[in-house]
Amino acid sequence: MRPRESVVNILGIETSCDETAVGIVTDGRDVACSVIASQVDLHARFGGVVPELASRAHTELVNVVLAQALVEAGMDLSALSAVAACAGPGLAGALLVGVAAAKSLALVLDVPYVAVNHMEGHLYAAFLEEPELAPPMVVLLVSGGHTMIVHMTDHGRYRILGETVDDAAGEAFDKVARLLGLGYPGGPAIDSLGARGNAEAVRFPRPMLDEGYDFSFSGLKTAVLVHWTQEGAAAEADVAASFQEAAVDVLVTKLFRAAEEFAAPTVVIGGGVAANSRLRERVLDEAERRGLRAVVPSAAMCTDNGAMIAAAAFRVLEREGPSSLGSGATPGLRLAGRPR
Amino acid sequence: MLILGIDTASAQVGVALGGEEGVVAQVRLAQGRRHAEQLAPAVQYVLAEAAVRLSDLAALAVGIGPGLFTGLRVGITTAKVMAQALEIPVIPVASLDLVAYQVRFTDRLIATVADARRGEVYYSLYRSVPGGIQRSGEYRVGPPSDLAAELVATGGDVLLVGDGALRYRQQFAEELDRVEFASPSFAHPSPAALVELACARYGREDFLRPAEVEPLYLRKSDAELSATVVASSRES
Ligand SMILES: [Zn+2]
Repeated sequence: MRPRESVVNILGIETSCDETAVGIVTDGRDVACSVIASQVDLHARFGGVVPELASRAHTELVNVVLAQALVEAGMDLSALSAVAACAGPGLAGALLVGVAAAKSLALVLDVPYVAVNHMEGHLYAAFLEEPELAPPMVVLLVSGGHTMIVHMTDHGRYRILGETVDDAAGEAFDKVARLLGLGYPGGPAIDSLGARGNAEAVRFPRPMLDEGYDFSFSGLKTAVLVHWTQEGAAAEADVAASFQEAAVDVLVTKLFRAAEEFAAPTVVIGGGVAANSRLRERVLDEAERRGLRAVVPSAAMCTDNGAMIAAAAFRVLEREGPSSLGSGATPGLRLAGRPR
Repeated sequence: MLILGIDTASAQVGVALGGEEGVVAQVRLAQGRRHAEQLAPAVQYVLAEAAVRLSDLAALAVGIGPGLFTGLRVGITTAKVMAQALEIPVIPVASLDLVAYQVRFTDRLIATVADARRGEVYYSLYRSVPGGIQRSGEYRVGPPSDLAAELVATGGDVLLVGDGALRYRQQFAEELDRVEFASPSFAHPSPAALVELACARYGREDFLRPAEVEPLYLRKSDAELSATVVASSRES
């Protein structure tokens, strides 16, 4: 089938961590497909992501995930207008698999290659579920690798207001889950156990609550450890609920303080930890109380996926044009940066 | 019938294009370990200079190692995805064979030795036979002293070739009497050899579907060996 001239179909590949994902997005808005092959089972016995295993799995899975994406979208490769890959931040070896795959497709199809920043991808996930969403807005991006608040004034214009100074929020969830013997991944385990516990049972510290927009989760994790060692394993649901409440409290407080300071009418959340049900609930409640608009993407869009890369690529292509086929990946890529 | 060959198992990026008439174009970039950056432009250059389009290809050939993991995956992923998009097969060839094939005009026992880092080498042994090379034994990984001991036991003249042979040249020279070293220009897998070997295999329909192609790692990941957690983030 031939694409109509006005239609832009972009295929996005995401391999920055432990998801091998391909999505196709039409005109930067409509998700034609989003296929995610999770490697959680592969890494679970190590209690965390093993970079070399992730890279190996990406190489094994890339063909089937790509084929599945085309089937689900009902598209031929010839319908694609551009091919994008996440080029950072992320695990170096893992990123390169997606970058190599995207450049290869771009070469064969003779279409532009677009290198996309992973965090910009998370940011654009919200636009896929709320097509009329528009900046200015304040965004909380929170995952196992990152915790940041971003002020987005326009497409492609971002200012990072604050970041974590030690552990990412998702890391704290994983570590507390391991302490409570809940296994890996920790986020969903804390979420479901915490739902049965009393969130006010233990008053854990809210680190840096009143200090700017930076975060620190290392101290909170240590406080949980100390409590757990002293009080024993009696009420693990209460500990999970109380820890979650403290972490969410800090995230939500800073997000809305930023919205107020920068007079943003809209708040958005994204990243793997944005799938946490208590965080979602608190963000929606707080937005309603303040008369702000909150965009809370579905859990599937919060987790790493290829559609978010394709959605961001649509704007990057419009703004900056294609990326060089000679560009690589940048594990420590900053938001608004572009790989060489 | 045209085949594009890619090998990125060593520090080199190698790309060659050819068919039954031989290799018509090739690029070998032996510096820098910038596989991800250099491979796609090298493919573009080879095709453009030979005035060949990707849609003219009958198959992709790829060196599957053993070698440097990250480089290996860049080349293999590239070959797998290109072949899938072009709907053509992939011919995987061990990269150690591609080092030996280019120095095959010798009566000596050929030992291909690739640097495996951490004090070890990947290696395999070959004899020249009419029209090519014949491998004896498996592809292996181990300390240079293991290989040296094995070569001493064979007792014959040996030609050592590969970046591992050069790195441990002094050690091999001390432990072996009847040894010769191939020059540094032969130290990396030859993409021209890849295309030549692949052409013969294409004729026998000895090839794979893209999804079936896997790297020849020889080593488990560090984490599997030590069962320690390298990173705790599930999602970045
Ligand atoms: Zn992410």
